[in-house]
Amino acid sequence: MDARAARTILSVVRASMRIAGVERPTEVAFSFAGQELRAPVGESLAAALIVAGVRRLGEGPGSPRAAFCMMGTCQQCLLRVDGRLAQACITPVRAGMVVTEA
Amino acid sequence: MAFDVAIVGAGVMGCSTALHLARAGMRVALLDRGAICREASGVNAGTLTMQMTRAALIPYALRAHEMWLRMAEWCDGGHVLAVACPGLSVAFTEREAAMLEERAKARRAAGAPIELISGGQAMEIEPGLSDRVLLAGHCPIDGFTSAYLTGRAFRPALLNAGVALFENRAVWGVDREAGRFVLETETGPLQAKRIVLAGGVWLEEMAGWLGVRLPIKVLINQLVVTERIRPVMRTVLGVASGLLSLKQYANGTVLIGGGWQGIGDRQRGGLAVRAENFRGNVRLAAHTIPALRDARVVRAWLGLEAETADALPAIGPIPGVDNAWIIGSVHSGYTSGPYFGKLLAQAVAGEAPEMPLFPIDRLLAMEAA
Amino acid sequence: MTHPYDVAVLGAGPAGMAAATEAARRGAKVVLLEESPAPGGQVYRAAPPGFVVPPDADRRAGDALRAALAASGAELRLGHRVWGLGGGPLVRQGEAPVPFRIDALPPDGEPVTLEARALVLCAGTHERIIPFPGWTLPGVIGLAAATILLKAQGVLPGRRVVVAGAGPLLYAVAAKLLKAGSEVAAIADLATRGEWARAMPALLARPDLLARGLAWRAALATNGVPVLQAHAVIAAEGVGAVERVRVQPISGGAAESFDCDALCIGHGLVPATEATRVFRAAHRYARESGGWVPVLDADRRVSVPLLYVAGDGGGVRGAAAAPAAGRLAALAALRDLGVLDGRAHARARRRPALEQWRAAQAGQAMARMMALRPALVDAIAPETVVCRCEGVTRAEIETALDDGATEMNQLKQFTRCGMGPCQGRLCGEAAAELVARRVGGRERAGFATGRLPLRPVPMEAVLGEFDYADIPVPAPAPL
Ligand SMILES: Cc1cc2nc3c(=O)[nH]c(=O)nc-3n(C[C@H](O)[C@H](O)[C@H](O)COP(=O)(O)OP(=O)(O)OC[C@H]3O[C@@H](n4cnc5c(N)ncnc54)[C@H](O)[C@@H]3O)c2cc1C
Ligand SMILES: Cc1cc2nc3c(=O)[nH]c(=O)nc-3n(C[C@H](O)[C@H](O)[C@H](O)COP(=O)(O)OP(=O)(O)OC[C@H]3O[C@@H](n4cnc5c(N)ncnc54)[C@H](O)[C@@H]3O)c2cc1C
Ligand code: FES
Repeated sequence: MDARAARTILSVVRASMRIAGVERPTEVAFSFAGQELRAPVGESLAAALIVAGVRRLGEGPGSPRAAFCMMGTCQQCLLRVDGRLAQACITPVRAGMVVTEA
Repeated sequence: MAFDVAIVGAGVMGCSTALHLARAGMRVALLDRGAICREASGVNAGTLTMQMTRAALIPYALRAHEMWLRMAEWCDGGHVLAVACPGLSVAFTEREAAMLEERAKARRAAGAPIELISGGQAMEIEPGLSDRVLLAGHCPIDGFTSAYLTGRAFRPALLNAGVALFENRAVWGVDREAGRFVLETETGPLQAKRIVLAGGVWLEEMAGWLGVRLPIKVLINQLVVTERIRPVMRTVLGVASGLLSLKQYANGTVLIGGGWQGIGDRQRGGLAVRAENFRGNVRLAAHTIPALRDARVVRAWLGLEAETADALPAIGPIPGVDNAWIIGSVHSGYTSGPYFGKLLAQAVAGEAPEMPLFPIDRLLAMEAA
Repeated sequence: MTHPYDVAVLGAGPAGMAAATEAARRGAKVVLLEESPAPGGQVYRAAPPGFVVPPDADRRAGDALRAALAASGAELRLGHRVWGLGGGPLVRQGEAPVPFRIDALPPDGEPVTLEARALVLCAGTHERIIPFPGWTLPGVIGLAAATILLKAQGVLPGRRVVVAGAGPLLYAVAAKLLKAGSEVAAIADLATRGEWARAMPALLARPDLLARGLAWRAALATNGVPVLQAHAVIAAEGVGAVERVRVQPISGGAAESFDCDALCIGHGLVPATEATRVFRAAHRYARESGGWVPVLDADRRVSVPLLYVAGDGGGVRGAAAAPAAGRLAALAALRDLGVLDGRAHARARRRPALEQWRAAQAGQAMARMMALRPALVDAIAPETVVCRCEGVTRAEIETALDDGATEMNQLKQFTRCGMGPCQGRLCGEAAAELVARRVGGRERAGFATGRLPLRPVPMEAVLGEFDYADIPVPAPAPL
């Protein structure tokens, strides 16, 4: 299977991570670690990254970092959004936002 | 059975005094109403600085600096992650530059190897520094510790040396009976032939037990710490006025202090930061190291620091009470603490201390006047 | 700074919404601060703007509270993260209490500081997690976290999911996953059948919740989901992310392995007491309410004058009990401010007091099931990371205890456990239990002193634009 076909299949599978029956605003493009991703505007960045198959968000002192609590307390989802530190789980996706590891 | 000496207060002053006395062969009881080094000695900024130390204390601080760096050697392996690095005290305005010149001169005269350098030169030593610095005092002997480790560092050595350590045992008062001190404590009386008061900001109350009136001012010092960030600085930084202390630890956290004041008191401890002082302190820090703008503040806290009427230490015998001693109220007292404890131990053990103490007769005279 | 509010409410969950509504309706000047962009709190969390989620019972209950709030005249400050608290009793010795001070960061812009004569804290809970090997693998998320992902974001945590831990959220999450098209590999419930049976009488008081629970279980049975009662997750394994989860009966015996791409796991809820600790209020340890809770009177008064706690922040009792508690707190505040006289207050509090009592019965039964289970703490392996922010393992904690640490603040100093950005919210429960084992109980182990900020704050936001000359540098120390 060539890379493009693999990507198409993956994106179909990923689309299914968004629960059907929920009406969502239009999708916008943003980037994570240089990779272009799409998500409905307003979706939490942590959720958008899970849908995109991105789980590991960085390296902590004793373990990898990944969104854990989804409610802003654990701090494991810290990323850099447009140059500033932000918690992915409470940061809504915006068109064109540039996201990197913290 | 009576101890040779009872030391009240297990901060850095009490711990160092206890350790040295026990090693000199005395039976030592060390009592604290809380856990070891949980007050000023465990919550301070850990700066081992010559540029914030009072000029008169520089000779002591230089010796203490050496002790901290070699702590594992004399403290049975206990240590506080002491780091030696250059220190810079910077001036942003002409007024501060003048203050810096005066202060550097006095401290140099006292033995601190401080030289004045330009802002540009300072940036070579500290690339993270703001380009708005006019003048800087550079002291190659500076450094810092992780002060929260102090209790853990002292504890095993104290026990090895045979000190009877009584944590969570508050002392309420002292009686004198048949040439001995009887300490009234939370869990019953304790007898000792000598007593050392090492109670930090609570020394005023303790001196009162022996009928001595020694006013001690309480400073409510604020500290602020960031979360781990990439390396942004490699020196210990202060400003000419002394109201900033700034350093980055190996783990990436940056500690911001300098003695900005919060709300609190002896009875209740450090209660609350003042919003304007919190902001002022972090602004001063970010003005000095601009990359700090990028960090997040994780926590702010307050600790209690003691000051005598002339802002010089209270270390020596208690006039009029045989076999009673006092130690504390030292500016930048963490830096000098281990050495002061060693000196007082020499005096209590009946030797001549290798450097002069700071007897409190002068303070009592001031109070009487 | 504006004229002080009569009542400030922190947190717009069911408790906070009801408290603000009640106080504002009765004419008080009220402000409600909430860090999320919409009111709702955890259970009734609103979907992001522009998202339309099919309504369910929770949505309807939440909408009713939101509608009442909107009509009440309370000022809403949404997207405001409260990071600083002060005033009240936090004044110099001998000075009279002052209005409470609340520092918040709005979504974009300058920090704000508000003042209020009375403060009602409704900050809710956070989830307890007792570490096990592999808990830090990507793909392992909290159980409560899963409800947020599913309900508010409409996103699946994985396509084949193991759901584990304690309490009713297990079945809620599993049922929701199935409905949304995800596979549930297994449910590992720490509770025994006996525990569920003992909870039944209390649950009968809430037939609606009971019916919902039974429907969840029926759905799981129809789909053939293995429901393992009295089982614990002993490890999550995988390379780079979770790939399988090992589950074992709590009484011991053979472990079973389940392949999966996500593990949703939670060991109960812990009341958020940061704010009451900051105010040095009296607290007590109440295991069956989730942990340390502020000492409260029947009207939700804290030991500090004009300070109140409503909702799960005062002890876990669930969403149904929260609005009545919020109303009680608001009424007590109005009474203490002199807005209501004794008789009017007595009359007004009667209904919410009864309602709260009723709802709390079922809530208490669930809270009991979600209480900390010491066996999980015993099972933490020496090399397992307990404090994730600082990378502190159980072995390091035990060594610090050997070295003489006897309470939480000291453990923190000896190891850095709890010093990181989550401020001990993730590790605090496990660490406190490890201390408690040595010193004879959680009361002795104590809790970390309350400090600001309540949440990490970006320096940028605190700094604002400034000139060097504006910094109020105090007089220099003596030379
Ligand atoms: C926030 C802060 C930052 C600082 N930063 C620095 C710095 O960077 N560099 C520096 O050199 N210095 C610094 N200092 C100063 C330094 O911390 C102190 O000078 C030093 O720690 C004082 O030590 P101590 O042993 O005298 O007092 P403490 O450490 O306060 O010890 C006194 C002990 O007495 C005990 N006690 C009180 N009453 C009783 C009683 N009735 N019975 C029994 N025990 C009792 C207390 O519990 C306490 O443990 C700072 C101080 C603070 C507060
Ligand atoms: C993720 C999750 C899911 C849950 N699901 C259920 C369920 O399905 N059924 C059930 O009965 N119980 C559930 N619970 C228990 C829940 O705590 C309560 O039932 C209910 O939400 C309690 O209401 P509350 O008003 O006390 O707190 P919450 O609903 O938790 O509301 C607290 C609010 O305070 C805000 N807040 C906290 N700190 C700050 C701050 N510093 N600045 C600004 N705002 C702040 C939060 O954003 C939140 O909106 C859940 C708990 C969690 C954590
Ligand atoms: S996932 Fe815990 S803070 Fe974002």
